[in-house]
Amino acid sequence: MALLVMATAAEGTRERPGVSATAEFERLMRRYERLVLATALRLTGSNEDARDVSQEVFLKLYRNLGKVEAEAALSSWLYRVTVNACHDLRRRRRPESPVEDAGPLESAEADPQQALSEAERRRVLQLSLRMLPEKERAALVLRDLEGLSTEEVARVLGSSEATVRSQISKARVKVKGFVERYFGRRS
Amino acid sequence: MNCMDWEERIALYAGGDLEGAEAAAVERHIADCPGCQVFWSGLRETLGQLRETHSLELSPADFTAVRARVMAEIERGRRVWRRLAWVSGVGIAALLLVGVAVRTKLQAPLPPPPAMVRLSIPQAPLTVRERLPQKTMVRATMLVKLQTADPNIVIYWIGEY
Repeated sequence: MALLVMATAAEGTRERPGVSATAEFERLMRRYERLVLATALRLTGSNEDARDVSQEVFLKLYRNLGKVEAEAALSSWLYRVTVNACHDLRRRRRPESPVEDAGPLESAEADPQQALSEAERRRVLQLSLRMLPEKERAALVLRDLEGLSTEEVARVLGSSEATVRSQISKARVKVKGFVERYFGRRS
Repeated sequence: MNCMDWEERIALYAGGDLEGAEAAAVERHIADCPGCQVFWSGLRETLGQLRETHSLELSPADFTAVRARVMAEIERGRRVWRRLAWVSGVGIAALLLVGVAVRTKLQAPLPPPPAMVRLSIPQAPLTVRERLPQKTMVRATMLVKLQTADPNIVIYWIGEY
């Protein structure tokens, strides 16, 4: 992955006078830990995997401390490294079977009016992300859950804006279809 | 244009990704098409639920755990580097010592040559000692020719061994 070498900013990741590299790193880690952990959790759907990914991302940040210069660019860099780490983790864990995870889907369809608990609803919505292809999932998570603009998502994923818009659109339609199938509704 | 062609644009519109003329066109279509209106409201509802479900309240314990693991890993890496540095330092010091020792030895003055001693060995009659026969050797004949002072007299000695 190409490292970001961005324009200098007032508050960069460069070591500041009187501040040790470790202290500087810890400051950055505390500042960005929510961004990394939440994104990883949304992409992997597992707490343990999200922790593993976060650890990998922050170790990469530590090794590249001083190379990623501006904090404005740092969040994009962290998003990109997090998305890639999640992809790598998924590849290492293949074959993944979201269909198996979605086991209760058929039984729910058999009785669409069955009362669903809130926990089950949340589980279905979380599952709906896992059944998406990697790129569509990443685009949806970054745009709709992390609130990045389409332009920022394109930068993070290294794609064009047109591609990202197409991925986001397909992902939204798929998630809607998945959830409605589960709840037995038809659009 | 049928409603399937509007699907992608409606999905973008539902997430606030269309502006200006594109957004206005979708709005017009939705106003005229009950099916797409349902599709659009379904998308908005799903997106809302998705955001609500994923509005994570991460516990401080999660962050603490990640921080602890990262710092432990960094410390472990440092220990390995320190050990490597120590081992390499010892190795380099040993090499330097060997180098110094070799250089010192090369530069040291050579010892004086040993004194030459001339020995005079008194003349003794020549004796010929035959080698003892080897067990593996076959028996053979040996001929010794002895020349006397008189060129006309030659003594031959024949033996077996």
